[in-house]
Amino acid sequence: MTTTLAPRARSRSGATRPATRRRSRQSRRRAVTGYLLVSPALLLSILIVVLPGILTLLFAFTDWNGIGFDAEFIGLQNFQDILADPVFATSLKNNITWLILFLTLPVVIGLLTAALLLRRKRMRTFYQVVFLMPYVLAPVVNALVWQTIIYNPNGGVFGLLQLAPPTAGQSTSLYAAAAVDMWHYWGFLTVVYLGAMRQTPVDQVEAATVDGAGAWKVFLHVYLPSIRPTLLLMGVMTVIFSFLAFDYVYLLTQGGPAHSSEVMGTYAYAFAFSSFQFGKAAAVGLVMSFFGLLASVLYTWISRRDLLR
Amino acid sequence: MNRKVTTLAAIGMVAVAAVSVAGCSGGAGAGREKLELWFWGAPPAQQDTMQEVLVDGFNASQDEYELKVNFDNAVDKNIQVALSANRGPDIVYGSGPAFASAYAAEGKLADMTPYAEQYGWKDRILDSMYESGTYDGKLYSLPNSIEDIGVFYNTAVLDSLGVEIPTTYDEFVDVMDKAADAGLYSSVTGNQGWKPVNQNYISLFLSQVAGGKTVYDALQGTVPWTDPAIVDAVQASADFYNAGYLGGDDYPTLNFDQSMKLLSEQKSPFFIGPSLAFQFASNYFNDEAGNTDELGFMAFPTINAELPSPYYTLGTTASLSINEASKNKDGAAMVIDYMMSDDFAQKMNETWPGYWAVPLKDFDLKADDFTGLSKPFVEAMHQTIAGVNDGNYGYFAGTFFPPATAAAFTDIDSVWLGNVTAEEFLTGIQKIFDEEKAKGLVPPLPEPAN
Repeated sequence: MTTTLAPRARSRSGATRPATRRRSRQSRRRAVTGYLLVSPALLLSILIVVLPGILTLLFAFTDWNGIGFDAEFIGLQNFQDILADPVFATSLKNNITWLILFLTLPVVIGLLTAALLLRRKRMRTFYQVVFLMPYVLAPVVNALVWQTIIYNPNGGVFGLLQLAPPTAGQSTSLYAAAAVDMWHYWGFLTVVYLGAMRQTPVDQVEAATVDGAGAWKVFLHVYLPSIRPTLLLMGVMTVIFSFLAFDYVYLLTQGGPAHSSEVMGTYAYAFAFSSFQFGKAAAVGLVMSFFGLLASVLYTWISRRDLLR
Repeated sequence: MNRKVTTLAAIGMVAVAAVSVAGCSGGAGAGREKLELWFWGAPPAQQDTMQEVLVDGFNASQDEYELKVNFDNAVDKNIQVALSANRGPDIVYGSGPAFASAYAAEGKLADMTPYAEQYGWKDRILDSMYESGTYDGKLYSLPNSIEDIGVFYNTAVLDSLGVEIPTTYDEFVDVMDKAADAGLYSSVTGNQGWKPVNQNYISLFLSQVAGGKTVYDALQGTVPWTDPAIVDAVQASADFYNAGYLGGDDYPTLNFDQSMKLLSEQKSPFFIGPSLAFQFASNYFNDEAGNTDELGFMAFPTINAELPSPYYTLGTTASLSINEASKNKDGAAMVIDYMMSDDFAQKMNETWPGYWAVPLKDFDLKADDFTGLSKPFVEAMHQTIAGVNDGNYGYFAGTFFPPATAAAFTDIDSVWLGNVTAEEFLTGIQKIFDEEKAKGLVPPLPEPAN
């Protein structure tokens, strides 16, 4: 037995070693393949996101003018300057107003429309396409449509009604720009919410209905908890986008009149491309990113907490 | 199937290679050095004029270089980014001498002084315009055209109001009041889509109220920006705006093109704006509409009685420089020289009035040689050049002020809308100006006589 066992034992260990080596080789090959596959995206991210991000961080502490390579380290001077500038306070306040508007109006309209479409079997796809149309159009097209057809004092809707265009008033200009952005955005939210609602288990809806819950209670106690992750994700994206707002403000009011609709995006743009003050533009950019980062961290924390439950 | 795919792929690759080779070496420009100019995104008809007069004209005038013009709506921003990376076009089109000096300070533009000597630019170009393009004693830019901030008027509207073309400021204000009483706009203009339009109107009031000499002193640092004469000028601009004389309530929702349209529709007797707005006029005042003769242009009536009349607010539409990174600087200089000529100005102005009042000392263009809107434009530019030669002018901020100071003057609507006082506004200007002056960013200025 021993004679037979010994060679068997030897042969077993001899067979294991090549198998282990083979497995290790395969695993290494898989890892290399993985790295190779991920490398283009990683390289692009490093070149296009990480590197400029680090440079922005560095430039925020310099007086770089955006043209040459001369830049002096000036510490927190740029931050002190923008904090002392009343236009920065206006911009920050406007970004927060923008955030509140976007976290309420389009969300409410999107949810209601999605709930209505959920029960509608016919024409649902048609409505979704119609609602999505402003979202797929370029911002410059949407802005031009509103500027010439709605807000125009000579031939536009406001002109015909003999109302002052809201883009011209200090108290209304921000809302005028936000209205166009929300008009383009709410259809997208509707489609996303509708998609999430359709994932709600039918048995839960049926059980609630059998238990006597009306449409409102089914929406509130079944659909809403079911689409909570989607609501959360879209909420975080809205926070990030709100602090990056730029296009509709720039196209419709350029931040005016008299900075009344200025947001941090347009404020930074003016520093960078009108005054050759890239250092200050970078400082404003960092403040904008800070709020987005805050929202991302909050989202990650809530998601992990939900997973651990 | 696989063989078919391979064959198709091979044919495709050969075709692509053939097209690439043809693209690189073919065409009329074979063997010539390439020259590039990035220009603002002008309307199609004006792009055609540019192609015909500048590109085809220059390419036919010599056999060494081939010029290509790219039209780009975001030209200022793209040039800034390209220059910072030592790339970009051979001929650098910019917003004016103030921007050029910021690039020159960073070594992004080539010294054009040797070319100025070679082509005799100093003898041909208006002294004030030549000097404005120098930095540290060297020439870095030349303006493509001068401009004046004045008043377009519609004679049909003036007739219907029963008034003559105003010659004094009081008459001008009277006509605007009459127009408002008749339910018209007092005047039309606006900054929709381009906030720096504000610079036109603050420049106008700085020139017309404080006077060019006071602004010159402020730019030299010998008087502060909070000087009472400048405070009065800023306040006067606010009073003018609040009286509804700048597009009434619609200033933020009108632009130059719409303003010219409203003027042609007889919704207002006046459009206060830069002479470059002639280029928008041909869309609405033309032979087809039969109203070409209705449009006129005059210098803004002098406000301050102590200043000569007429008094001009001098600016340039753009500047031309040579990229330090260009491999064909000689060719770029040749193009600029081609543009600094009577012949070029004559041809461009035939179909594109407003943008090509080439700043020549002897602006030999005869108004009678032109038809349509080119005629009043050439007449207006003759008068402006005569006024500049006499030293009767103030400065357009976008041309002559350092970049951050000019950008800060864009915020004049904060005074107009009562958010800050004139003194507070100018205190902010002083701070920004001091920083730029310390960096040597104030361009050399032609000193006005008054």
